[in-house]
Amino acid sequence: MSLIEVVDLTYQYPDGTPALATVSFAVDEGDKVAILGPTGAGKSTLLLHLNGLLLPQSGSVFVAGVGVTRQTCKEVRKSIGLVFQDSDDQLFLPTLLEDVAFGPLNEGRSPADAERQAMTVLADLGLAGNEGRAAHHLSGGQKRLAALATVLVSQPRVLVLDEPTGNLDAEGRARVVQLLRQRKETLVVATHDLGMARALCSRCVVLDRGRVALTGNASEMLADEVLLERHRLLVPL
Amino acid sequence: MSFHHLDQYARVASPITSVPPVVRLLATIGLALGVSTLPLGAWIQIGMLATVVALLAVVARVPAGVMLVRVAGPLGFVVLASVALLFLVPGEPVFRLGPLRASDAGLLRFGSAMGRSAVALGAAVVLVSTTSFPDLVHALRQLRLPRAVTTSLGLAYRLLYLLSDEIERIERAARSRNARAVSGSRRRLLVGIAATALTRSLARGDRTYRAMLARGYRGEIRSLHSQPVDLRAALMLTALLLITAGITLSAYWTAG
Repeated sequence: MSLIEVVDLTYQYPDGTPALATVSFAVDEGDKVAILGPTGAGKSTLLLHLNGLLLPQSGSVFVAGVGVTRQTCKEVRKSIGLVFQDSDDQLFLPTLLEDVAFGPLNEGRSPADAERQAMTVLADLGLAGNEGRAAHHLSGGQKRLAALATVLVSQPRVLVLDEPTGNLDAEGRARVVQLLRQRKETLVVATHDLGMARALCSRCVVLDRGRVALTGNASEMLADEVLLERHRLLVPL
Repeated sequence: MSFHHLDQYARVASPITSVPPVVRLLATIGLALGVSTLPLGAWIQIGMLATVVALLAVVARVPAGVMLVRVAGPLGFVVLASVALLFLVPGEPVFRLGPLRASDAGLLRFGSAMGRSAVALGAAVVLVSTTSFPDLVHALRQLRLPRAVTTSLGLAYRLLYLLSDEIERIERAARSRNARAVSGSRRRLLVGIAATALTRSLARGDRTYRAMLARGYRGEIRSLHSQPVDLRAALMLTALLLITAGITLSAYWTAG
């Protein structure tokens, strides 16, 4: 059985705007999958369903065989580490150390354990020495790594990232891509950064207007300019 | 917009910054309580406690100019709140200001309020100048302040920076399109900026809450352990509180 299975997922926003329509795809353990699509295609909405922050209006989402429902979403969140598009949304506590320790403390770890884990992850990501700093004292690239640290510290089985290279300069982007390439976890990345998708992922799911337009091998799909243009992922200038 | 200057002396190594934040907070509360419970006209004791605060500022390496500027701002509000005492409290007339007549009893109360406030504010300025906001929140947690309060303070601290960035971006966008600086337009512009900032803050609050839920938040923010209070810090605090209590009580003995 796949680690993540999305079956006929449909979602409309409260104002009636359709966001997802009968979306189906599966992700196996160890897969690196890019969810591609132009702005407004439904990528972020789909990611919120994987973590149980939004619940299916129809269809189903399964994570490690567990259906995502109001009752199971806490359990599901232990498996799925979601990194949001805007790091400032994810870093809400006065210091970086507290932010990174937030997840482990919620999982019931002791403060000493949580602090030790947080320090280790910060050191692994090259953020040692910033533990007592507030997020507004960090650069854009550091904030992105810090947001990643808040999730990695809980050792999730799946890393789900929403536009991880958005608003980063070339150096920051390279650092994030390099770091994600080294990770062993299953990876689901929503992006319209085709270069990053090419560098990181083996499979692609193309979303267009809330529907799955294509799924397939990343290197083949990303080399097909006609296909990318058809789904507004590549627009000639 | 930057608030980084507020706690800039928190990074300066000094005997004050070497003691745990909770000790600094307790010392400030002790000083503020001591000076606020002084009887009216205890000028010598107010002077002595002001000297204690000035010494703490020197030890903490907070420059005198910085102290004065930071005390002067809030002291302006104290003047506004207590200036009426000069004219409303019955007593012997001391001077006239147009139709208003200041009394000696009013002057005594006004002077005492100003003196007490200046010392208490001075102590608070030393505290906030030498203690970062996160450390202050930790100290409040250690003093068993309700978790809802400390959590709100911690989140507000982060949101303050995000909100100020948001306002700065909106204002810059308005100015880039030649938003006029004349008073009527300016007022409308400020109202528009405030409304947009509020809307964006609500949206950000919603996104932040989702980020908290995604990491297992269940309605309570648990905290890491704090810096323990060692014997040296406990002795320093005890000494300061004893000195403050001695000065305060001496005012009652001399008055009695």
